[in-house]
Amino acid sequence: MLARILAFERRLILSSPLFWIVAIVFGMFGFAMMASDNVSFGGGIGNVHRNAPLVVINLLAAFSFLSPLLVTIFIAGAALRDFEQNTAELFFTTPLRKRDYLLGRFGGGLIAACGVMVVCALGLFIGSKMPWLDQSRLGPTPVLAYLWSFAVLVVPNLLFLAALVFALATLNRSMLYTYLGVIGFVVLNVVAGNMTSNLDARWIGALADPFGSDALANITRYWSSNDMNTRLPSLSGLLLGNRALWLGAAVLLLLAAFHLFRSDREGLRLWRRKAVSATAVADTPVLSNSRIDLPQIVLQDSPSAHWRQFLHQTRFDLRGVLTGAPFLVMLVLGLLVMFTVLSFSGEIVGTKVLPVTSHMDNVLRGGLGLFLTIVLAVYAGELVWRERSLRIAEVADACAAPNWVALAAKFVTLVTVIAVFCAAGVLFCIVYQLAHGYTNIQPGLYAKIALLAALPFVLTAALFVFLQTISENKFFGYLLIVIFIAARAGLPIAGYNHPLYNYGTGIPLPLSDMNGFGHFLLPALTFRAYWGALAVALLVLAAAFWQRGTALTFAERRRLARARLARSSGRFVLAGSLVAFVVLGVWIFYNTNVRNEYLSEDAGKARRADFEKVNRAALKDEPQPRITAIRTDVDIFPDDLRVAIRGHYRLENKTSGPITRFIVDLDRDITVRKLEFAAHEASRVDRDNSFTIYTLAQPMAPGAQMDFDFELEIVERGFSASGAESAIVDNGTFLNNFAVLPHFGYQQRRQLTDLNDRRKYGLPDVPRMAPIDDMAARANSYIGSDADWIDFETTVSTAPDQIALSPGYLVKEWIADVPGEGQRHFFHYKTDTKIIPFVSWLSARWAVKKDRWNDIAIEVYYDPQHPYNVERMVEATKKSLDYYTKNFSPYQFRQVRILEFPNFHGSFAQSFANTIPYSESVGFIADLRDKEDIDYVYYITAHEVAHQWWAHQVIGGNVQGATMLSESLAQYSALMVMEHEYGATQMRKFLKYELDNYLRSRATERVKEQPLALNENQQYIHYRKASVVLYSLKDYLGEDVVNATLAAFIKAKAFQQPPYTTSYELLDLLRARTDPKWAPLIEDLFDKITFFDDRVTSATAKKRDDGKYDVSINVHAEKKYTDGTGRETPGSINQPIDIGVFARGADGKESSEKVLLLEKRNVADGDSTITLTVDALPYEVGIDPYNKLVDRNSGDNRRKVTLE
Amino acid sequence: MLAIRNLSKTYANGVHALKGISLDIPNGMFGLLGPNGAGKSTLMRTIATLQDPDSGSIHLDDLDLLADKQAARRTLGYLPQEFGVYPKVTAEVMLDHFAMLKGVVDKKERKALVEALLRQVNLWEKRYFRLGTFSGGMRQRFGIAQALIGAPRLIIVDEPTAGLDPEERNRFLNLLAEVGEKVVVILSTHIVDDVTDLCPRMAIIAQGELRLVGEPLEAIRSLEGRVWRKTAAKEELAALREQHNVLSTRLVGGRPVVHILGDRSPGEGFVLVAPNLEDVYFGELRRAAAPVAHAA
Repeated sequence: MLARILAFERRLILSSPLFWIVAIVFGMFGFAMMASDNVSFGGGIGNVHRNAPLVVINLLAAFSFLSPLLVTIFIAGAALRDFEQNTAELFFTTPLRKRDYLLGRFGGGLIAACGVMVVCALGLFIGSKMPWLDQSRLGPTPVLAYLWSFAVLVVPNLLFLAALVFALATLNRSMLYTYLGVIGFVVLNVVAGNMTSNLDARWIGALADPFGSDALANITRYWSSNDMNTRLPSLSGLLLGNRALWLGAAVLLLLAAFHLFRSDREGLRLWRRKAVSATAVADTPVLSNSRIDLPQIVLQDSPSAHWRQFLHQTRFDLRGVLTGAPFLVMLVLGLLVMFTVLSFSGEIVGTKVLPVTSHMDNVLRGGLGLFLTIVLAVYAGELVWRERSLRIAEVADACAAPNWVALAAKFVTLVTVIAVFCAAGVLFCIVYQLAHGYTNIQPGLYAKIALLAALPFVLTAALFVFLQTISENKFFGYLLIVIFIAARAGLPIAGYNHPLYNYGTGIPLPLSDMNGFGHFLLPALTFRAYWGALAVALLVLAAAFWQRGTALTFAERRRLARARLARSSGRFVLAGSLVAFVVLGVWIFYNTNVRNEYLSEDAGKARRADFEKVNRAALKDEPQPRITAIRTDVDIFPDDLRVAIRGHYRLENKTSGPITRFIVDLDRDITVRKLEFAAHEASRVDRDNSFTIYTLAQPMAPGAQMDFDFELEIVERGFSASGAESAIVDNGTFLNNFAVLPHFGYQQRRQLTDLNDRRKYGLPDVPRMAPIDDMAARANSYIGSDADWIDFETTVSTAPDQIALSPGYLVKEWIADVPGEGQRHFFHYKTDTKIIPFVSWLSARWAVKKDRWNDIAIEVYYDPQHPYNVERMVEATKKSLDYYTKNFSPYQFRQVRILEFPNFHGSFAQSFANTIPYSESVGFIADLRDKEDIDYVYYITAHEVAHQWWAHQVIGGNVQGATMLSESLAQYSALMVMEHEYGATQMRKFLKYELDNYLRSRATERVKEQPLALNENQQYIHYRKASVVLYSLKDYLGEDVVNATLAAFIKAKAFQQPPYTTSYELLDLLRARTDPKWAPLIEDLFDKITFFDDRVTSATAKKRDDGKYDVSINVHAEKKYTDGTGRETPGSINQPIDIGVFARGADGKESSEKVLLLEKRNVADGDSTITLTVDALPYEVGIDPYNKLVDRNSGDNRRKVTLE
Repeated sequence: MLAIRNLSKTYANGVHALKGISLDIPNGMFGLLGPNGAGKSTLMRTIATLQDPDSGSIHLDDLDLLADKQAARRTLGYLPQEFGVYPKVTAEVMLDHFAMLKGVVDKKERKALVEALLRQVNLWEKRYFRLGTFSGGMRQRFGIAQALIGAPRLIIVDEPTAGLDPEERNRFLNLLAEVGEKVVVILSTHIVDDVTDLCPRMAIIAQGELRLVGEPLEAIRSLEGRVWRKTAAKEELAALREQHNVLSTRLVGGRPVVHILGDRSPGEGFVLVAPNLEDVYFGELRRAAAPVAHAA
């Protein structure tokens, strides 16, 4: 019996065109993912094969995100079919067993959904076999990975979703509740995903995510590229837990569906329905025969009558939507998503930001995002098909209301849904702010944020209504909608990222407290208007295609649409909106492609490849002058978004031969008004690649000096397709010399770096950085190759109400009237020592906090809205100056200035000579009220101040390992300041984040991982790994030893002339100054890529008669080395490792932890047992309990003690 | 007067639903009788502006229904064969909604109209009940109420009594009868008794063509003296069918009762009976390739 039902289902499904359409679409998605070289979704970048086992698994996991659609179509459809088509009773009167019936319906739907996924996987497979793919990026077909994905992810996900949807559909007999279940499912996944940024909450997210993707990410987080190419994830730990949990839930749901299923008319009797009287209302017995006179009515048909009908229909539909339980649940779910975004977004190392209103903009948009899109998709289908589903359509269609009334009402209902969500979101954010003690609410800003956030959704709603209207049935409409959503996400990934052809998109609109929406608002609104015009056209078309009366074929409807348009005013609206669309489109194109340059991703790469092919060989080693002094007059006009620069270089030929040509590199968007230097002629102009070659009439002799004068103008012209990259803004201009001043020589930074890209364009492998012993490369610092130490002087002018800052001491400040420009505010800065050739100019309306440390002036320039952490920064600066001057060398300047800049310039802080620009989103709005949180403001400030030593005193040559001398030593310095301030516990917390970041980022390596001493400007190594490595070094050698070495290093190398120093020189010094027994440690830390795998397998304690405790710890310790691509070799432990026993205070919190014993012990390779004695009750033990060693699992270093 | 001229419709799957139908329907109740698949619903939907014919015209007095659909919709009321409801909406709100859609935009007018209509169909007591709780008969009465909005000149009622119990059916037909003399009411049904009870004029439609148009009484009278009845045995039925024009075979008390059309007695056991509309109906249906009879 069951078999026959399944056979019936199978026949039904195979003959359904919807099934084949869906299957083909999914198959094509799969194919496109693999067959397009541009798409690297799933992690197939760098050394990871595009069809590596883990990549295949990631791709199929991502596709199973689309399974809600499948499940809705096939399973809910199957479940509800009998009730909607009234065949139910036919079945239930046969001797069919309930179990067979349900399993048959369910099984059929599930098989269909699985079938579609199989087709999708086939698409992936076929795509990976396409002959045009770069074969070196592919590995063997990972058959096991496909099977693994299906067994662990795809089928269980489908199973759970199917069970959920089936249960909801059979019990509730309403599609709306089914959608609710689906949305809840998706929300859970989003919520779980938001938790990943917080290390402690990750495991919750991993279990809670019903798709299993977070659990998978947890297991594979630290995999190297080699791992990804060869291993299959093990079904263990959180992944196993997750699957077990959700499979169990699926079984429970099926059981519930089975037990609660009723085959009678009423279905499941919810408690609410019992309150209403029984189904058949008793009819009144007698009909009176007296005729009742009907009032005389004249039916209205005027435009005003139509308007009122429209309002009425809108209210009617709106009531239907808003009062339904599904809507309220969706609203709650949306708020839940927003809550998790709020809780975890903006977090840095686990510390939150203050809930400032501008931050709520991110939250609102992030929280609404895909979720609201799905809600709109669901309701678009429900609303457009409402009358037809309920079979009211024939009556309603025979009424005299015009077509557009129904369409407009449904659209406006959707818009109201958007408004309700936005309003609820805003309210929620306000409550959140108040709950966190933040009272600066700014309602006006909220209104703007909500409106701007809602607009894209309104455009989407119009499109969805249109798609549903032209579809033959609701599910086909959903399919079209899904295709649209996928395309919108997929086009940019495939390299098609111009917003002109991606419906509903625009250019980014950042919001900054400093600059507000700034001049980015107008372009953003222009895009909205552009798509809005198309949306209007779509709505008019939808009205023309609106189904009225009996269903017609598409051809018939098209004819009817033409007729309708011909005789109504709709065609004027259509024409008008299309004209507006074209006009706006032309205007946008003019801005993005004519006034500015637009390069698709491929075109950009091709250009860079050509640049190298044509120029590198000829120009790379051409001798060029060095800049020894820079003097500039910089005029900033924030209102005009314009900067004028009059600059002077003093050039010197420091080479041993003559210089015949200058290769001058200057960004192509900067206009050169004047260029004056010794007689010359422009022998080659390459505007695309931003350089010009000037041949000197007289070659520049070795040792000779020359003046080089220029006048430049930078002005923002219109807007570009990529959006907010302007350095010049109304409040918060930030320019640096690499972006706006000319440079000399072949610029290596303009080449392609990604190995796969290079191979694709036929470029040879060039090392990412010169080898450490390359003496020619050491002639340059890694900052730049056209200058060493320079004198710097600048006069910068800005608007009268702004302050302008630049490295150097303020010589004079004045306000003057300039003819043609009005009042201008002038600042003259000058350095009295030479500095490295990295300078900047900033201008904004700041408030200033001034303080001193000894005779060094400390100034913080901050936006008046962000006073929160200014004191902290001052404090951190003082402590840093104290520590560094005591332990390294005297500070070479008389001032330290910290400046706030708008968040859209970036989320970083940067160190120029005695000048530290600091992003508003990093530190200025950090929420440091919870003392348990890591004070990253302190740490970042200390790090940046440390750069005044490590970079501005000692600078490495342009070879491997250069950044170790600046970034890594700055990290170390900051860590020391932090430790002195906050103690070891916060260190552990911080180092955990650093370690996690390092391990996580290894798989994103595009070339090859390097040991720290040879790192090639790899951020995850010179920041994250270095924190752990240097802290470990200090831990073994002692803080004083390390500091003394660093001080000696500075003494020898500060302010040196080329050849610049290297990391090896530091390490040589370290080895020379320390006992030879540390040599293996130094090698492990700096010269090799070393991993430990330390864990406590068990720990017991026994109380002794004398009150002390004997503690027995079983540990496992292992050391491994790895080459740059992840291949491992075993090592042997040759240094003692910390063993610790801890007690806890009465509150049981880690912050109250007391160290009972902490000592370094020799630990054998592999498993061993350690016995200790302590004086008090132990709570937990640990091997390397403070995570000082690079260990791939930092969570198993400690373990609670079991008392015997 | 509703004048239908040469209405034809063929569906995409090749079904000839209407084959050149021409018909004049005066004011008052008009019964359209025919088996399932005859084209009744197609005809009803076409008149109700829900469907376009391939050719032909429909005029209500001087209003061309096909050309000006909006005007048509303002003058007609339609009660379809299968109509659903918003289960959670109350009767009053639903009727108010339809009244608005039809063009009763003034709030006070609408309120008064809704009350009057609900009283008319005897659902006023139930106005706060949700439509999902209504029985079949109540739903049909509600359907009539919405069809009566705006005093239409043309009311189309498609298979209204199918599925109603006898009491409900009576109630419904009584209601329909009171609708008024100045209105064209087309009652499309396959239940012969509905037409007998209610309609002074009728047409029989089968396979897309009109078989008979006229007054039921006249049609019945034309069969007078030609209808024979016998309670037969099951074994006789096959032979009877072969030899005579059998109108119907019905079971009464479990035994087959045969009606035969003929000028002479078909044989032993047959008695002459007064014909009824059912006989007319079945007679027309059985008449193979017979010309359409126009009674006086």
